[in-house]
Amino acid sequence: MAVQDTDTRKPAVYVYGILPADIELEPGAAGVGDPPGEVRVVRRGDLAALVSDVDLTKPLGRPDDLFAHEGLLDAAAAEVPVLPLRFGALVSSDDAVAEELLQGHRDEFVTALSQLEDRVEYVVRGRYDEQGILREVLGGNPPAARLANQIRGADPDATRELRIQLGEILNSEVAAKREKDTRAVGDAVDGLVEASVVRPPSSELDAVYIALLVRTDAVDDLEEAVSRLANDWAGRVDLNLIGPLAAYDFVGAPAATAAATAHRELT
Amino acid sequence: MTTAMQPSGGGGGGFARPNASGLADVLDTILDKGLVIDAYVRVSLVGIELLTVDARIVIASVDTYLRFAEAVNRLDISQEKEGLPGLIGDLEHNGAKNKTKGALEAAGDKLREFAGGYEEPQRAGRRSRREGD
Repeated sequence: MAVQDTDTRKPAVYVYGILPADIELEPGAAGVGDPPGEVRVVRRGDLAALVSDVDLTKPLGRPDDLFAHEGLLDAAAAEVPVLPLRFGALVSSDDAVAEELLQGHRDEFVTALSQLEDRVEYVVRGRYDEQGILREVLGGNPPAARLANQIRGADPDATRELRIQLGEILNSEVAAKREKDTRAVGDAVDGLVEASVVRPPSSELDAVYIALLVRTDAVDDLEEAVSRLANDWAGRVDLNLIGPLAAYDFVGAPAATAAATAHRELT
Repeated sequence: MTTAMQPSGGGGGGFARPNASGLADVLDTILDKGLVIDAYVRVSLVGIELLTVDARIVIASVDTYLRFAEAVNRLDISQEKEGLPGLIGDLEHNGAKNKTKGALEAAGDKLREFAGGYEEPQRAGRRSRREGD
């Protein structure tokens, strides 16, 4: 990685994602920065990048910046194939975008874009109802229930070891349920999705957190399948389907994409 | 992108439509996923200060275990159904009946504090269709 000596007086070029060259950009799309930079297109051959100028003297990463980055890419992905970049990619100039980024990796990018044609990402995210899942665990684990009895109403300091012991059991049981429920989601969408990636849980009460790559003509069926599951789990898991998103979980270094479970050969 | 009708309470009585990403989801997505120029391709990169974000990774620890135990303490006994051994009896009811959120939410909720008023993601203009489509 070559990082230039930064001349902070010149704007740098922030890169959002890579798309086919034959796209039209609506004017006025707002990008990152304060005030938001205007998003524009850099083209080279049959590829394009969505970029905007940023002021190097101001840091990036405010919530507005994050929403602008993802919002732009998700809106684009609903219409055309997009290779989304991780937040924070800055390049020295449009020329570097065109030559080093687009032309320099033309074949890989063209192939990846063709694999994403008519496909889009959705994320299934579920969270356990706290009281519900604890009752479920305690109901199935008598030693844990006995521990719960011992600590209830007791002095916290005196029962610290017991509470740690109970907590460890609960954590492990909830993790086991998370695995089982994640598989249940995988089963429910099998045949509808082309690939899936399980995301690490973002909280102790996560029931499922999985990214799915789906053909756009299968989205209605996907919504229906997840909706059925949500009804089955009413009161137990608060289940949400987020999307359409750009295929963040399905691009990247070969090692990362190897982690994705292929449900079907990507043509 | 449509906004789902969120079910009220923690129950999740089935959702209506796919929903947009809240800040927590955005952080999980664009900070961890997507193409990385320096790891994947070599391009002339420029340095800029990136605001740091609180750790979002949940690592099981003693704090985690204590939070679970605390949550058990808050279980509403009056809602007991039959078949839960050992919890019914002359136990202190700590009056936390309506607390549906608890310390277990702490890790995930760091983001919600961070997000403050940013509940609605901003949406950029829609891209036009491909020429010739």
